[in-house]
Amino acid sequence: MTRRWSIFVPLFAAAMLVALVVSPPSLAQGVDSAMLLHPPADSWPGYHGDYSGQRHSPLTQITPQNVARMGLAWAFQTGQSGQLKCSPLLVDGVLYITVPDNVWAVDARSGHQIWHYRYPANKGFHIGSRGVAMYEHWLYFMTPDAHLVCLNAYDGTVRWNIVIADSQKGYWTTMTPLIVRNHVIAGVSGDFDNLAGFLKSIDPETGETQWRWDSTPPVGTPNATSGGTTWMTGTFDPALNLIYWGTGNPTPVLNGATRPGDDLYTCSIVALNPDTGKLAWAFQPSPHDTHDWDAVETPVLVDGDFKGKPRKMLMQASRNGYFFVLDRTNGEDLLTTTFGPVNWSLGVDQKGRPIPNPDKEPARDGRLIAPDEGGLNNYRSPSFDAKTGLFIVDARPSYGIYFAKPADGTFGWAGADYGVWSTSVLEAIDYQTGKIRWTHDLGPGDSGAGALTTDSGLTFTGDAGGNVLALRTADGKTLWHAGTGGDMQSSPITYELDGRQYIVTSAEGVLFAWALPEATAATLAHDHRSSHGVNSTSGRPR
Amino acid sequence: MTAFAHDRFISAAAAAVLLAGVSLAAQAPKTASPAVTPGLVESGGSLFIQRCAFCHGRDAGGGETGPDLTRSKLVAGDVGGDKILPVVRYGRPEKGMPRFDLPDSDLAALVAFIHDQATKAASQNGGRRGVDVSDLQTGNAEAGKQYFYGAGKCASCHSPTGDLSGIAERFQGLQLERRMLYPEHVKARIVVTLPSGETVSGELAYRDEFTVALRDSSGHYRSWATNQVRYTIDAPAEAHAALLGKYTDADVHNLMAYLQTLR
Repeated sequence: MTRRWSIFVPLFAAAMLVALVVSPPSLAQGVDSAMLLHPPADSWPGYHGDYSGQRHSPLTQITPQNVARMGLAWAFQTGQSGQLKCSPLLVDGVLYITVPDNVWAVDARSGHQIWHYRYPANKGFHIGSRGVAMYEHWLYFMTPDAHLVCLNAYDGTVRWNIVIADSQKGYWTTMTPLIVRNHVIAGVSGDFDNLAGFLKSIDPETGETQWRWDSTPPVGTPNATSGGTTWMTGTFDPALNLIYWGTGNPTPVLNGATRPGDDLYTCSIVALNPDTGKLAWAFQPSPHDTHDWDAVETPVLVDGDFKGKPRKMLMQASRNGYFFVLDRTNGEDLLTTTFGPVNWSLGVDQKGRPIPNPDKEPARDGRLIAPDEGGLNNYRSPSFDAKTGLFIVDARPSYGIYFAKPADGTFGWAGADYGVWSTSVLEAIDYQTGKIRWTHDLGPGDSGAGALTTDSGLTFTGDAGGNVLALRTADGKTLWHAGTGGDMQSSPITYELDGRQYIVTSAEGVLFAWALPEATAATLAHDHRSSHGVNSTSGRPR
Repeated sequence: MTAFAHDRFISAAAAAVLLAGVSLAAQAPKTASPAVTPGLVESGGSLFIQRCAFCHGRDAGGGETGPDLTRSKLVAGDVGGDKILPVVRYGRPEKGMPRFDLPDSDLAALVAFIHDQATKAASQNGGRRGVDVSDLQTGNAEAGKQYFYGAGKCASCHSPTGDLSGIAERFQGLQLERRMLYPEHVKARIVVTLPSGETVSGELAYRDEFTVALRDSSGHYRSWATNQVRYTIDAPAEAHAALLGKYTDADVHNLMAYLQTLR
């Protein structure tokens, strides 16, 4: 690995100052707690970038005025037919990307491969891989057969490989672990069987389990649910010392008869202590779910005013079609509203939770439900733009039909459902009112692109036809686009290297880095340094 | 608007089928297909779990978003992979089915496994999972007829003695219900007005925010930048999408009952 010491010296000095206060001094290279708390401009060190889940960057080189000149800087070909569904990680000028069983280290300046790791062939579900996590110079990669593999970031060699869950029972994993200090927090997938959902904290050095939190009672408990898997990366509030995590649907999936009541803690947002795994509070977007609507969508953390009062908030655009704003200190609901067609509830209860309509549970002769099983939101990352107060989400209005009958049993799926119709639309939700300020049509079918916003007032996303889009955040107007020839299934990231800002997106098995022309970027970087008196890559403004 | 993406993929899918037919004929004549052995089925099952089971279920009986392959007409009509392989190789992007770049030996194993599962499911007596024709008989045909001519306004486009004559002979059960709720196969028409004032019309072939395309009556594909032309689209399926938010479940069941009388 090549290093650019001139860039890193001021960063390192700043990091050391913070590190001395909050954690023991760590290695100069790789990721430490200081970097995760305040990611520098030349990094994207966690799944969401920073801990907030806002997927918002303070970078401003690419602006609404100059984005029309943006073009391709480089592309990286995985050569795989499997789609990239990961959020790339960027540390020390190296990008790390994944598809199931595969990790690549790619030079973030040029897009050339540094190394490629292949996990041995296995029988797990190869449905997707959302990327790696990093701590010091170690990568943490989850596999289709529910292992957690620790790799050396320098060369992709295996340090250790542990079992997170038993894939023979029906577990698999796709997610990127969350690193909080010396905890590698890893979740699991699997709702084709009646399995307990859980979250594990793993020691980054030894691979030993530090704690385990179970979202549901032991399988077989009478009248109790199973399920509640933890298949997306959570967020973290260092001041409150709480991690926030979404849990998946209950099992059996479409038949709720054997699991009466709310089925806690499935389809829930939970706040846990990262050192102990102890539950602080929980809020349930979908009590007694019978439609496979995980509540794992990114729990976005925002500090700001809510109706005139400063609040520490948590926002989620949930798969079931509801947008929630919670007080993240205690889980109190501040706002519950729909953000698209929803026809399965009888309204909202006193705690702000939707009340499921029993007549909309799957039935022998079918029930027409909005949204469909894929939901109004899903794994796609939303973005929060503080300047406009907009929560931007890649929404998918849809209808499906749901069936269940006694012959379908009480194990696993326990029914059948079919999509009828769907379309894709980017929505900008005013978090204080829940009103949709603007929408941008992304075309019929599905867009998997997610959203990224930047301080210059840009929103990056993709449409269902395979176009990457740059929109003006204030009103959703298109300012730039490029066709990529395939489905965009990973959420965009951005970083600045050598004075040049890059936007990284994917389509199918190809990674694209977009930037202004080199000469333009160099001029802007020079101007920026002159006006700020600092190297623009030396730290992330807060 | 929603009809458009589905429509634009039909020609691509048709082309893919043609191509696949050619390449299969060239690469793997039927006589060279491996014999279907228990070992082949087993190896197909293992591959199915890794690549297909998330969407289609471990037993191919349907899972997240993917259809039940054991009740699939395409699978039922498949001979030695002639229908299944093109779908696996080229995908159905408009329906979320990705393409899979797998060696011929793996594809043969997958086909063997899918057929084996379909045979097993068909031989199961009673208590079968999924949706049977008999499950969709709870509606009232007379009420469905009233909805057809009344609130549903179906009669403004359809006629039981015209386009829907004998519909229940052609489609049954879930297939009929899904076509009724949203006929994604229905083509949209487009009329494009060029800057010169000339108009061009045809079947809508593609549309996104930036590009619009049609196929004219001679089969010629033409596209334009959306900001260079004006265009109007006639998408009959949109009336179905507009109804989705208005139906009660009883309306759906009654309408099904009525359509099933059109034999």
